[in-house]
Formats: sequence, structure tokens, C-alpha cells
Amino acid sequence: MLHTFHYSLKTLFRNRMLLFWTFAFPLILGSLFHMAFSNISESEKLTVFPIAIIENDSWQENEFFREAFSALGDENNADQLFKIRYADRPEAKAWLQNGEVEGILELDGENVLLTFDSEGIDQTILKFAADEVAQKKQIVEALSQEEIKAQLAAGNFAIDADGIREKIEARLAEEKDTLQTAVSELDYVMIEYYSLIAMTCLYGGILAMTALNQNLANLSDKGKRVAVSPASKGRTVLASVAASFAAQLLGLAILFLFTIFVLKVDFGSHSGLVVLLAVVGSLAGLALGIAVGGLVKASENSKTGILIAITMFGCFLSGMMGITMKYVVDKNVPWVNKLNPAAMITDGFYALYAYHSFSRFWWNVASLCLFSAVLIILSACVLRRQKYDSI
Amino acid sequence: MKNVIEVEHLTKAYKDLKAVDDLSFEVREGEILGLLGPNGSGKSTTINCILSLLNFSAGSIRIFGEEMKPDAYDLKARIGVVFQEVAVFDELTVYENIDYFCGLYIADKKLRRQYVEEAIELVKLGEFKKFRPKKLSGGLLRRLNIACGIAHKPNLIFLDEPTVAVDPQSRNHILDGIKKLRDAGATIVYTTHYMEEVEILCDRVMILDKGKILASGTTDELKGLAGMEEKITVESEEPEEAGLAAIRAQENVIAANYRNGVFLITYRKGENNLAELIEILKREGIRYHKIFSERPTLNDVFLELTGKELRD
Repeated sequence: MLHTFHYSLKTLFRNRMLLFWTFAFPLILGSLFHMAFSNISESEKLTVFPIAIIENDSWQENEFFREAFSALGDENNADQLFKIRYADRPEAKAWLQNGEVEGILELDGENVLLTFDSEGIDQTILKFAADEVAQKKQIVEALSQEEIKAQLAAGNFAIDADGIREKIEARLAEEKDTLQTAVSELDYVMIEYYSLIAMTCLYGGILAMTALNQNLANLSDKGKRVAVSPASKGRTVLASVAASFAAQLLGLAILFLFTIFVLKVDFGSHSGLVVLLAVVGSLAGLALGIAVGGLVKASENSKTGILIAITMFGCFLSGMMGITMKYVVDKNVPWVNKLNPAAMITDGFYALYAYHSFSRFWWNVASLCLFSAVLIILSACVLRRQKYDSI
Repeated sequence: MKNVIEVEHLTKAYKDLKAVDDLSFEVREGEILGLLGPNGSGKSTTINCILSLLNFSAGSIRIFGEEMKPDAYDLKARIGVVFQEVAVFDELTVYENIDYFCGLYIADKKLRRQYVEEAIELVKLGEFKKFRPKKLSGGLLRRLNIACGIAHKPNLIFLDEPTVAVDPQSRNHILDGIKKLRDAGATIVYTTHYMEEVEILCDRVMILDKGKILASGTTDELKGLAGMEEKITVESEEPEEAGLAAIRAQENVIAANYRNGVFLITYRKGENNLAELIEILKREGIRYHKIFSERPTLNDVFLELTGKELRD
């Protein structure tokens, strides 16, 4: 196994195409991001912008939303995000068409309706804020019900409303991922870098796919040599894939060092968790490479093309080419980004950066592990059962 | 002499097409068996089935007396394979390629170093040790391909068309190397569609076509099957009908045909076929420029057996 591992590393590090995609391309893209976004970040960060809110019955009845947006629109609040104007729908639409507001927020019962005339950072921030308030409201309601049930179950029929409020506040304080914190730390440029890391993690799949191809008789002539040798196919594949994983991690380490020390990107204070997410993300990339290599019937070049296309599309949906896309996908087809490893990685980094609670981070780590396990097990089953009818 | 390979009723079918059709044969220890046949005759498929690379529809395969299976690792350790396609890593040097593939068989580093050096010497690649494959010519690549397949000193070697598209110098190196392997005691199965190589190298020959064995035996035995002993070619002007009739009437003539300025006359065994032909040419006044006699080739045998040429 060590023999195969050693030579697999040699072949990977001498393959210029693989080196470009795995090592050079992310550095080039990172540098381009840096050049393109370094000034935008400061100039456009959290500028207060006008929005319209439809003052209908649903709005009046929704105390949680009213309080939250009142705080976000408060001129005395250091974290003010919006300059809020209240109106009925026709008036608000007229404002939107005239460019007097950037978006319209309307409540229809429990549903939050947002209307935009264009897509950009302001619209994304409004969308993000509305989603956060709605999510927070759900948490509070769920916690209230939970506490009431607990009190009733304990035989306490005189509900202690103040006690419940205190407990909810304590629970929310524990999580600390308050709306103000999350929104005020929203830095869309960071999402570009997270997507870049996600892309690098997933590009590692090309290395794994190449390693797999070199060991299976139906995928390459070199694989035929391995198949007729006394070396166990499983061990040889494992050693080659391990080498590809090591190379992939090295590529990521270089990217991290480059972005932190050259591009001066701040990934926050949880460096251990950042590394963990990168490793798990790389595992997902490796699993994707194995799946495309083992399950897709096509030439090696075609498979590389397929893998690059999947990775780029996944990164596009996770916000690499424009962060609005991530929120559009999350809103309209949420299951897509639940299955998209690039979105899981991006969201995991974002959760680390913007939230004080780790629950969303761990959720993404677990999702990536599950994604990797499913693909690796599926590929292993297919490859183990594979008997060649033609090669 | 022991049988190293025993194949019985091997059949490999793709739906209605039988790529290998009920083949039974054996390979004896220390011999070079040539598998001769045109492209698509089933040579490579037969080898891939023997090596357990392909499933087969029916039959049995035993190597060194044991059933060959995908996980027969002890058997695989004694087998070397040189595939038709050059299968080496472009990223590794000549030495590293041989060392990598040898390492799949030989774990001991010191022994492996010795084996790799010997393989390099055998295929005469000493001065190219540090070259990457992309810098090698087609012939040198073929030699590297062979070294990768035989460096671990196997007892049984499969060589699948190892000389396709190589220059004469490399071909000679390759053929010399194969003879040395045989002299060192290896049993060799050699597939090709170059009949000259088979005649030079092989102790026995099996002619395949459409997945079936058409004939097998030594080259002399096979030529005997064609019923011809001698082939005389005469470059001349077209003779009169009477002259042609006189040639055809010659004792031992099987066939005599004139085409494009060349007479081709095939004979059964006879002691003075050439001398008698020259007499007839003089007597009939047929002027000729060149005349030469040769033994029939395996291509003639193949032509006789199938009605088509080996390289059709």
C-alpha cells in the first residue's frame, strides 16, 4: 500500500493539468476576487437604504415583525439597516418603480412577501433580514409551546408567563445568534471566498477520480495491469485515493495560507473548526470524484469535464458568481442547496463567521459527512460487484 | 512436459456474437505458443478470459494446475502480461514506471531494484532510464511496456501484439528479449498477426479466426496442412496459351496464375520443380526477368484455410 501511495503522490504532483485545477486555479480566482472586491467591501458595507412595508392587518397583528423591523429601522440604533417607509401596496409599488425604495416587505398571514425591482446587495440584505426574523419568530413560538407543555405536564395549571419569557430570553441569549449580530456581520465578499474554498474542496474530486481510473481495469489500461497483478484491488484503490486526499489537503492548506497571509482575508477566530470543515468538504469532493469516476460510463476526459461542470454549477448555486443566487435558491428550491455540497461548505463557513452558535455549522458538517458516506458506499458497492463483460 | 495452461471449451459471447467459440487447448511448460489471427479473431479476448479480466460464458481455465479466478493472487504473482496498449504513467520516468509495476509483485526493495535493472537491460533501455515516456519513440515505448510486464520474472508471460507499429531495430530488440525470456525458462503465449514473428519465435502455433481454432501445430505441420511445399514466382511477359498450358501440365503443380506481369506457381513436394520449370520456359520461348522459389508462409496456410489473407 505504501508503494502505491508513494507513486500515486508522484504521479499526481507531476500532472500539470491536475496541479492547475487543484492548486493554481483557486489561487488565481482568489486573487481576482481580491482585486475585484477589496474596495467594494468597505464602500457598500451595511449602507442604510430605504424599504417600504405594507401596513396591512397581518403586519399590525405581527408584533414580533413590527418590533424587529422597528429596531432595524431605528435611526438611533448603531446597527440600523433600513430607512423604513410605511404605505399601502399601490403607493409602495409606485415608490419601488420610481426607485425611492429598494424593496417592499409585506406580510400575508404568516407568509413573508418581498418585492424587488432589481437584484443586488440591498435586496439580499432585506431578504436575509426578513428570513432571520421569520426564523426567530418560529423559534420563540416553538420554545413557548415547549415551556407551556412542560408546565402543564408538571401539573402547574397557573401558567407563569414571566417565567416563560425569562426562559425564552435565556435560551435565545445562549444561542446569541441574534438578528443584529448576524445581519451586521454580513459580508458578502466573504461568501465569495467561502465558495472559492468550497470549489477547491470539490475540485479535489478530480484527483480522486484520476486515482480511481488508474486502478480499475475497465477504466484504463494501467488499471488492467493492476488487475492482473497479485495486488488487492481494494487496497490499491484505497492507497491511491488516500494519496489524492493528501494532495487535496495540501492544495487547501496552500489556498488558506495564501488567502490569510497574502489576500489578508479574515476567516474568524474558529481556526480549528475552519480546518475541520475544509477537511470534511474535501472528503465530499473526494466522494464526488469517486462517484463520477466509478459510476459514470465515459472517457477520463469526459468525466473530468462532468466533474468540473458539477463543481462549478454547485458553486454558482452556492453564491460564488453572485451571492444573491444562494438566497434565490434557498427561497425557491431549498432542497437543491441541501444536496449541493458546495452550498453545505459555503453555508458552514458562513455559520462559523456570522453566528455565535455552532448548530448551523454542525448541521452542515453532518450533511457533508452523510453526503460523502452515501456516495462512497454506493460507489464501493457498484465497483465491488462489477465484473467486466468487456474492457 | 507439464501443461502450464489448460483451457477447455472456453466460450465468450456478446449476445448473439461469439467472440470465442468453444476453444480447447493447452500450453506446455517452457514453450512459446503463438496465437495467430487477423484483428477481431478472438486472440485478445481469449487472453483476457484466461487472465480473469473478462467473464466468460462457458468453459474452464486452469493455470499451473489450479483454477484461474480474479482473486487467485498466488497464480497472478507468477504471471506477467504485456498488453497490446502501452500502459505506463506519463508522469513517471522509465525506471519509476518499471519499479511501480514490479512493486505490485515484489515487496522487497533491494530485490526489486535488481529486477528492475535486469528488465531495463533486457529491453535495452539503459540510456533512457530517467526519460519520461513522452520523450520516447514508439519503439522505445513498446520496450518500456514489455519491461513493465515482465520485470518481476514471471514463469508465464502473455505478450499481446507487443511489436505493433515499431521500427525494425526495436522489433529486433523485442524479439531478442523474448527469446531470452524463453531461454530463462518462461512459458510464453504470444499473440500477433505478423506471421514472420511467429515463424521466428514460436514452438507451436494456433491459428484463430472468428473465435475458433482453425489449426494448430508447429509451423511445418501447419504448412503441411496447406498441401503445398513450394511457391515459385516468375516475372515475365504474358505467355501464349500453349506456354501456360505447358506450365500447368508440369508434374506437382497445384495452381499456376499470371497477373500483372507475375507468374505465381504453387507446387506439391518435388525434388526438381524449379529446374523443370526453367526447362519449360526455355522450350516454350517464354522470356523472364526474375525467377525465385520460396517455401509457403503461414499466410498461405491461412489463405488456404479461410480463403482470405491474415491482414485483410
